[in-house]
Amino acid sequence: MTPRIRSTALLLGWALAAAIYSGSGLRLQAATLKLQAQLVWGTNDERSPDPKHKPVEAVVKEKLKELPLKWSNYFEINRKNVELSPSGTSKVELSEKCQLEVTSLGGSKLEVILLGKGKETLKRTQALPKGEMLVLGGNAPNATAWLVVLKRIE
Amino acid sequence: MTENNHSSADDPALVRAAQQGEMEAFEELLGRHRDKIFARAYSMMRNEEEAIDLSQEAWVKGWQRLRQFQGEASFGTWMTRIVINLCLDQIRRQKRHRTESIEELDEASGGVERQMPVVIVNPTSGLERAELRQRIDRALGQLSYEHRTVLVLHEFEEMEYKEIARTMDCSIGTVMSRLFYARRKLAALLADLKKQD
Amino acid sequence: MDWEAQLKLQAYLDGELPEAERRRLEATLAQGGQSSLLLAELRQTREVLAGFEKGIQMPESREFFWSKIEREIRRQESPARVPAPVSWAARLRRLLVPASTVALLAIAGFLTIRNDGSSLLPGGTEMETALTDTGAFTYRDYSAGTTLVWLSYPAENEPDDDEDAVTLQ
Repeated sequence: MTPRIRSTALLLGWALAAAIYSGSGLRLQAATLKLQAQLVWGTNDERSPDPKHKPVEAVVKEKLKELPLKWSNYFEINRKNVELSPSGTSKVELSEKCQLEVTSLGGSKLEVILLGKGKETLKRTQALPKGEMLVLGGNAPNATAWLVVLKRIE
Repeated sequence: MTENNHSSADDPALVRAAQQGEMEAFEELLGRHRDKIFARAYSMMRNEEEAIDLSQEAWVKGWQRLRQFQGEASFGTWMTRIVINLCLDQIRRQKRHRTESIEELDEASGGVERQMPVVIVNPTSGLERAELRQRIDRALGQLSYEHRTVLVLHEFEEMEYKEIARTMDCSIGTVMSRLFYARRKLAALLADLKKQD
Repeated sequence: MDWEAQLKLQAYLDGELPEAERRRLEATLAQGGQSSLLLAELRQTREVLAGFEKGIQMPESREFFWSKIEREIRRQESPARVPAPVSWAARLRRLLVPASTVALLAIAGFLTIRNDGSSLLPGGTEMETALTDTGAFTYRDYSAGTTLVWLSYPAENEPDDDEDAVTLQ
């Protein structure tokens, strides 16, 4: 073995050890993920026909306004908080027809499955660092929209 | 061909230039036909974003396959067939996520179109062009993908029954039945929309 | 009017009826009645649709639309690298360079990963996989940290199952 190959092998050994150590450290130290899921109705109407629907909070409204969406008002239909242990999965029922299945994949990475009427409609894997938001949406009758807003709280 | 000549050249000349690798000639063709290609995608998909994406994909494919274009049909017709095929692929993919199937859909229509009263009065008479377009747009949007596609291929693309059957991979009988249903439903919807007004 | 007769009437309108049947149908139509009314309705629907697409315009400007297409064409046309013959030493070097990089990244990752599992490096752990729903498109606002996934399903107007599709509310 030449000195160059020997030094590379040594470096690789260190790298493997570091990777294994850092991985196990992560598993030990990973905290519970706290998320908030909201079912939101987007409309240009000033008021929701259901008085129980309150406008979404200002922070969410501002973020939604930054997106290429055409609606001026957003009303919260339902809200659920989710706590995910590392590698844990949680199913959130936002309405009779709308469920989310969220799985923690380690770190801030999540797998989100949207179920419409019990059927898997969309699967997405992405990181969701604290303060960031994932919005899933689609058209609803009378030129309105349904939105599912998933926010990382902690 | 120089850049200045592009705007005055006819389509076949631009196609020949584009086949030689002149992108400016292809851009000129795009300028001439982009609305038609988008319109066809929009008629089929009923979604502006999707129609833009699919038209874009069609133009990219058009460039890549340009050497295969022999001029049997006009360039516009050739491009339209590309976008139609892309739309059909997209509809098939989307259908996997829908509960409805063609069989269910045919059952759902349940022969209603056979019993619908005939709409004798022209529901669109006396309307401004823009208003008429809006009304048809709304009515088309209420047809299923299958019914709308048959209607679009027949009315806008002027395809014969057997050609539609081949394109949509179904029987001529299904094409006839869907076309009939689509027309009758459209007539009823247009009449309903007039009543609502 | 039975179902077959109705479809024949439509085929007549579309010029898809054989000559002999066409003549027979014309004789029936001359007597007026339900078939004439249905034919009038079918013809009217066809006329209403004529020219409908002509008014539809692409919402993006020609320049913007072309720029996207040109970029995509060039991206897809960018030539793939042709591998040149390499020596044994070069092959070994090729193996060792990524190995060293992996080692360095692992060390860097180990040093920067915080207790809560998030990374100190911007976007360090972010990874996205393709959507299973090809009818969806994604928009990402990096400054606001917001990702929007817009689904074409459920569609705004799903016919025939109006009552149970359309909304997730």
